[in-house]
Amino acid sequence: MEYILTTRQLSKYFYQKKALDKIDINIEKGKIYGILGPNGGGKSTLLKLAAGLLKPSQGEIIIDNKNPGVYTKSIVSYLPEINYFYKWMTIKDALNFFKDFYDDFDMERVKESIEFMKLEEKEKISNLSKGMLGRLKLTLALSRDAKLYLLDEPLNGIDPVSREKIITSILNAFNKKSTIVICSHLIYYIEKLLDYVFFLSEGQVISAGEAEDLRNEKGMSIDKLYQEVFQ
Amino acid sequence: MITLLKYEIYRRWKWLAIRYAALIILGAIFFNRASASPMQYDIIAESMGKFFLISIVVFAIIIIEGINMLKEDLFEQSGYLTFTIPKKGRTILASKLTLLFLQLSLWTIISIGFGSMFFSKFPYQEISRITTQIDFSFYPTILFILTAFFNFVLMVHLSLTLTKTLLVNKRYSSLMSIGIFFLLAYLIEKFYYGPFLNQIRHAYIEFGTTSNVDVLSAGYTSVFMNVVLSVIFFSATAYLLENKINI
Repeated sequence: MEYILTTRQLSKYFYQKKALDKIDINIEKGKIYGILGPNGGGKSTLLKLAAGLLKPSQGEIIIDNKNPGVYTKSIVSYLPEINYFYKWMTIKDALNFFKDFYDDFDMERVKESIEFMKLEEKEKISNLSKGMLGRLKLTLALSRDAKLYLLDEPLNGIDPVSREKIITSILNAFNKKSTIVICSHLIYYIEKLLDYVFFLSEGQVISAGEAEDLRNEKGMSIDKLYQEVFQ
Repeated sequence: MITLLKYEIYRRWKWLAIRYAALIILGAIFFNRASASPMQYDIIAESMGKFFLISIVVFAIIIIEGINMLKEDLFEQSGYLTFTIPKKGRTILASKLTLLFLQLSLWTIISIGFGSMFFSKFPYQEISRITTQIDFSFYPTILFILTAFFNFVLMVHLSLTLTKTLLVNKRYSSLMSIGIFFLLAYLIEKFYYGPFLNQIRHAYIEFGTTSNVDVLSAGYTSVFMNVVLSVIFFSATAYLLENKINI
C-alpha cells in the first residue's frame, strides 16, 4: 500500500492546550478521506501541519516521503477555511497568481470551472459573497493537478446550491492518481464522497475505518454515526 | 524571486506611484519657487528645507512599509497564501527586501537630484565653502545610511518572525519580541560596533569648523559591518520562515 501522508505520534500544542495528541494516521493514495469531528477537535490543525503552515510540537508528518517544505507545497493543494486572498485581488489576479506559482495549475480546467461556478473574472474578491468565495477557493484548489488536496471545511457558510456545485467539482477533480482529504462537520453533504473516515475529537482519533464497512457494521449512515459519537 | 517581487509591487503599486509622484511634483513646485527668486537665498533655503522635510516623511513611510511587508504576511490571513506557495523562506524575504532596496534607491536618486538642483541656485563660492567645510566622504556616508536602515528593518523582521516561530507558544510573545529587538540593539551597539567605533555616541556635524563625524569617517568599515549584520539577520529570519513558521 502506498501512502501519500503519514503521521507518527504527531502532537501540536498551543500554550498548554493539546490541539493534536500523538496522532498516527496513514492516508493512502487514490482515495477520498474524511476527517470528521466537532469544532476545536484538531481537524484544521492537522491540515495546517500538512500544508506547512504549522510545525509539529512532537512527532512527525511525512508527505510523499518528505517532511513539509518547498517540495510538499508544490504537490499539496490546500484550501483553508478563511479568506486568504490579498485584499487588492480580483478573481483574474488570483488565477494569475496560481498560474505563476504552481506548475501544476491547469488554466483550461480553471476556465471551465469558473464558468461552471458562475464566477466573473473581473470581480473583486473582497466584494464576493461567502458562497461565491467558497466556490472560488475550491475552483483554485481543484484546478491544480496536485497529488494531495487538503480541503478544510469546504462547505462552511455555503448555500445549498453552491454546496451541490462544490460536491460535483470535487467528484470531477478526483482521479486515482490524487488523494483528497476533507475536513468537515457537515457530514450529510460529503458522506457520498468518502472512502475512509477518521473521527477526531480533542486532538485524538477516536474511531476510523472504511466508510462502507462502518455503515454496514453500525447499520447507519456516517452522518448518523457522527451524531451518535459526538452527542 | 522576480515573480514574487512582481506581486510585491503589484500589491502596492498605487501607493508607490502616489508617493514618488508627490515627491517629484512637490520638489518641482519648490524648485520652481526657488528658481523664480534668484539671489534671494532665504527663499531658496526655505524651499530646499521644505523639500527635504517632505523627503524625510517619504523616507519614514518607506521604512514603515518595509517592516509591514513581512508583518502583513505573518499576522494577517494573507500569510496562508504567501507561505503555501512552493518558495523558500529566503526567496520570500529577499523579494520584500529587493522592493525596499529599489524604493530606497529611487528615493535617494530623487532626493539627491533635487538637492543638487537646489544647491545649484546658490553662488558657486558658497557651495565650495560648504563642501570644503564638511569633512566626510559622500559615497560611504550614503552607503552607511542605506545599510543602517536595512539593518534596522531586518532586525524588526527578525523580531516579528520570532513571535510566529520560536516564541509562538509563549505567553506575551509580542512583548518578548519587542524586548528581543531592544536587547539585540543594545548588544550590537555594545559588543559589535562599540569596540570598533566607540566614538559613535559623540558624532556630530558642525559647519564652519572641522567635523567630527566618527561613524561616517570610519567610511567603508562601518558599511562593511552593516552588511555583515544584515547577512546574519537575513539568514536567521529566512531560516525561521522556512523551518519554524507557525501561522
